[in-house]
Amino acid sequence: MSKKLIWRYLVIVALLGWAVYTIMPTLRYERLSTEEKSVLKEEGKLLDLESKIIKRGLDLQGGMHLVLEINVPDFIKKVADHQSAAYYDYMEKVDALYRENPEKDYLNIMLETAENDSLRLSRYFPAPDRRTDNKAVVDNLQKECEQAVVRAEEIIRNRIDQFGVAEPVIQLIGNKRIIVELAGIDDPDRAKDIIHNTALLEFVLLKDPEYTQDIINRIDAAVKRINPEEITAVDSAVISGKKSEDKEISVSELLGLQESDSTAESLVLVDEDLASEHPFSALLRNLGWDIGVPKENYYAVNRILNDPEVVRILPNDLRILFSAKTQKIETVQGGNAEFYSLYFINREPGLTGDAVKEAKAELGSVSSERMGQPVVNVRMDGEGTKTWARLTGANVDKRLAIVLDNKVQMAPRIESKIPNGRTVIEGFAGLAEAQDIEIVLKAGALPAPIDIIEERTVGASLGADSVRRGVNSVLFGLALVALFIIVYYRGAGTIAIATLVLNIFFVLSILASLRATLTLPGIAGLVLTMGMAVDANVLIFERIREEYLRGKTIRSSVENGYSRALITILDANLTTLITALVLWQYGSGPIRGFAVVLFWGIIFNFVSGYFISRTIFMSFTHGKKPLNKLSI
Amino acid sequence: MLQFFKNTHYDVVNKRRITFGISLALIVLSLVSLFVRGLNYGIDFSGGAKMQVEFSQSITAEELRAKFTEKNLGNPEIKSSGLNEYMITINPENLDDANGILEQALGGTDYTLLQIDKIGPKIGQELRSNSLKAVGIALLLVLIYITVRFEFHFAVGAVAALAHDVLITLGLFSIFQWEISMPVLAAFLTIVGYSLNDTIVIFDRIREDLKVHKGKPLADIINFSINESLSRTVITSLTTFFVVIILALFGGQVLFGFSIAMVIGVIIGTYSSMFIAAPILVVWGHKFKEKEKPLEKKK
Repeated sequence: MSKKLIWRYLVIVALLGWAVYTIMPTLRYERLSTEEKSVLKEEGKLLDLESKIIKRGLDLQGGMHLVLEINVPDFIKKVADHQSAAYYDYMEKVDALYRENPEKDYLNIMLETAENDSLRLSRYFPAPDRRTDNKAVVDNLQKECEQAVVRAEEIIRNRIDQFGVAEPVIQLIGNKRIIVELAGIDDPDRAKDIIHNTALLEFVLLKDPEYTQDIINRIDAAVKRINPEEITAVDSAVISGKKSEDKEISVSELLGLQESDSTAESLVLVDEDLASEHPFSALLRNLGWDIGVPKENYYAVNRILNDPEVVRILPNDLRILFSAKTQKIETVQGGNAEFYSLYFINREPGLTGDAVKEAKAELGSVSSERMGQPVVNVRMDGEGTKTWARLTGANVDKRLAIVLDNKVQMAPRIESKIPNGRTVIEGFAGLAEAQDIEIVLKAGALPAPIDIIEERTVGASLGADSVRRGVNSVLFGLALVALFIIVYYRGAGTIAIATLVLNIFFVLSILASLRATLTLPGIAGLVLTMGMAVDANVLIFERIREEYLRGKTIRSSVENGYSRALITILDANLTTLITALVLWQYGSGPIRGFAVVLFWGIIFNFVSGYFISRTIFMSFTHGKKPLNKLSI
Repeated sequence: MLQFFKNTHYDVVNKRRITFGISLALIVLSLVSLFVRGLNYGIDFSGGAKMQVEFSQSITAEELRAKFTEKNLGNPEIKSSGLNEYMITINPENLDDANGILEQALGGTDYTLLQIDKIGPKIGQELRSNSLKAVGIALLLVLIYITVRFEFHFAVGAVAALAHDVLITLGLFSIFQWEISMPVLAAFLTIVGYSLNDTIVIFDRIREDLKVHKGKPLADIINFSINESLSRTVITSLTTFFVVIILALFGGQVLFGFSIAMVIGVIIGTYSSMFIAAPILVVWGHKFKEKEKPLEKKK
C-alpha cells in the first residue's frame, strides 16, 4: 500500500470517528421512550444529552415563534411629563404623520415636526433643563426606548420562567424587537397573553356622576356636530316608527362612515327616544351603579370614543375605559342581555402595580361574598401600603377602579381606609386567568406596550407530520437517485451513492455538533444537496470515461478524470456556496435553516464526493492486483 | 457501459435563432404577465394571517366560505391543503382579530388549528426589502466571481442566462398566480445557484477546449464543448429533477411552492446554460475576436 493511500485512510477514519461520535447522542435520544426520558431527567442527565442532539425547529416539533416590537408612540406618551393642550395638539399631528408614513421612524417624525413648528420638546419630555435642544431630547427618548426593550426582555424572561416552558428562546433583535420561541406548548393563546400583556395594574379614582353626565352630554353634542344628516335620518325613522323602543341600525349609518368595513360592521341598539338629540347616550343603558353598554354596541361606542373630534373635546385628565368582562342582566322583555360597563376615571392613577409585593390567585373564601369566584389577593410593599392607606382614607365612599391593561377589573366603593396594604382583585373569567395575572403581577409590568408583529404557531401534530414527510422525501429521493446512478455507472455508481450517504451523515453530524436547528426547509436543503452532490461524481465519471475511451490505462484514466474535473467542481460549487452564504446572512427564520444545510452540504460534497470517492477508486487502481476492467 | 449520448454532434450554436426566439417569446409573455397580473405575494411579504385548519368531518371549500360570508366576517382566501384540511388566509387589516374571526365563523364545527402564521404588514414589507437585498447581493457576488475566474464576456453570457431563468420562473409564478412565500424565494436563489452551476460547467469546458483546439472557429469549439458535457448536464439535471419532484410529491403543503419553483428552475436552468449562455458567447465573443471568420461564411 502506498504512503499516499495511508494518510488518506487516516483522514477518512478520523472523519468517520468524529461523525459517529457526534451523531450518537441524537440516535440515542430519538430511541428513548417517554418513561426513559423522565428517568434520565430525574438523574439530571437529560439536559446534558439534549445539549448534544440535533435540535428540531419549531416547524418540526410544534411551538410558537413570536416577534415582539415595542410600541414607540405609546411609550413616548407614557414618558411625557408635562401634558398641556399644546402637547396634545403636537402629538396628534405626529401620530397623523406616522399613520401616513408607517415606515418612517416615529422619533424622526417627532423631531421634524417639532423643528418645523419651532416647538421646544424639553417642555414636554424629560430633559436636563428647558434649554436642551430638540435633537438631544429625542436622542434621550431613543435611549430610554432601548432601555425599555432591554427591561421588557428581562420581564418576559421572568414571566416565561414562571409559566414553565422547556428551553425557551428569548432574544433581543436590534434595538426595538424581541424574539420569543416556545417549543411544544398546548395553549398558544394563553402563552401569548402572558408574554405580551403589559400587566399595568392601576388603582384609579372614578369621576363624580355629575361630571360624568356632563361629559356624556358633550360627547352627544360632538357626535351630532360630526354628522348632522345621518342623525336626522334616524330622527325621521323615529317619527314614523313606534316610540321608545330599541331599534337596530348599522354603525356606519350612525357615524355616516363612507368606506364599507364589512368585517367590523355590526348592528347596534339605539334607544329611539334619545337617538335624535343624544346619539351617544342612546347607545348606553343605565345599570344602576354603572353605565352599561350592550355587547352589540361595544364597537359603536368604541368608535365614537376614538373619533378624533370627540377626543379633542374631552378633558386631558379623563380616561374612559370598558370593563374587562360583560355581565348578564335580565331585560324588561324577559330575555338576557350582556352588558359591558363604561367607566369615566382619572388619567393619573392613585397607585400602580409597582407597589405590589405579593400576588396570589385563589378562589374566593367561603365566608366572603366572592365565594368560589377566582380572585387575586395582592399585598403592597411598605411605600405602597402608605400611599394606599392615604388614598383610601381620603376618598371613603368614592369609587375606585382597579385597572389592568386599560380594562377595569372591578370598581368597588371604598368603604373604609385600608391600612395594611391588602387588596382583592376580582373580575376574572376563570381561575386560569387569575393565575396568569398572578404570574404577570409577580414578574412586573412591561415598561412599554409591546406589539406582536409576527407570529408563527405550529401544532404538534403538524410538526410530527412534517417530520414524517421530510424523512420520506429523503428516503425516496435517495432511492431514486441511487437506482438511476447505479444502473448508469455500475461499480462507480455504487461508490458515488456510498459517498452520497456519507455526505448526508456528515451534514447531520455537523448540525449536531454546532447545535444547529433542523427545520423543514432544512430537510428540503438536505434533499436538494443529494441531487446536487451526485454532480461532482458525474463530472468525474464522465471525464474518466472519456479518457478510458481514448485508450488510456485504467489507472491514468482515473487519475486524469479526477484531476481534470477538480477545477470544474470547484467553480460550480463555489457559486452555490456564495448563494448559500448570502441566504444564511440575510435570510430570516425558515430560510436560514435551508441555507445552513445547503452550505454544509456543499462543503462535505468536496470531502466525500471528491476526496473519499477518489480514495476508494485509488484503493482499486493502486492495489496489488490491478483491475482489468473499469466498471463505470 | 450505458451511455445516453454517444459522440453527439448537435449544432446548438447555429440553432440559436430558434432557441433565442423561443426564449424571447417566453420572456415577453412573462413580462406582460408580470405587468398585467403582477405577483401573488403570500403573507410573508404582504402581511396577514394564514391558518391551517383540519376538520373532523368532510366539508367543501364553498361550505367553508359560506360560514364566513353568512356571518359577515369578510371573504378570506380558502385553499384545500389536504383531506378535510384548509388554508384560510385573512387580510392584514383584520390581523389582530384573526383568531376571533375564525372562532366565530367556525363555531359549532369540530376543528383543529394546525398552524397559524401572522405577519404584520410592516414586517412583511421589511421581509420583502431584505429579500430583495439578499437576491441583489447574491447576484453581484456571483458575477464578480465569474468575472474573476473567467473572462468578462463569459460573465455576460452567465448573466443573460440567469436573467432569463429568473424572469421566466417569475413569469410562470405570475401567470399561474402561485404564491410567493419565503421558501419560494429561497428556491429562486437556489435556482440562481443551480443555473450558474450548469452554465459554469459548460464554460469550463469551453475554456479548456479553447486552449486545446487553438485556431478553430469559436462556434465549433462551443458546439464541441456543449456536446462533450451533454451527458453530464443531462444526468445531473435528472438526479436533481428526481429529488425536487419527490419533494413536491411528499414534502407537503409547506414545501410545495419551494419544490415547484425548483422543478421549473431545474428545467429552465438546464435549457438556458446550453441554449442561451453558450451561444451568447459566440455573438458577444465575436466582437472581441476580429481574427475569426464571420459565422455566415463558415457554413
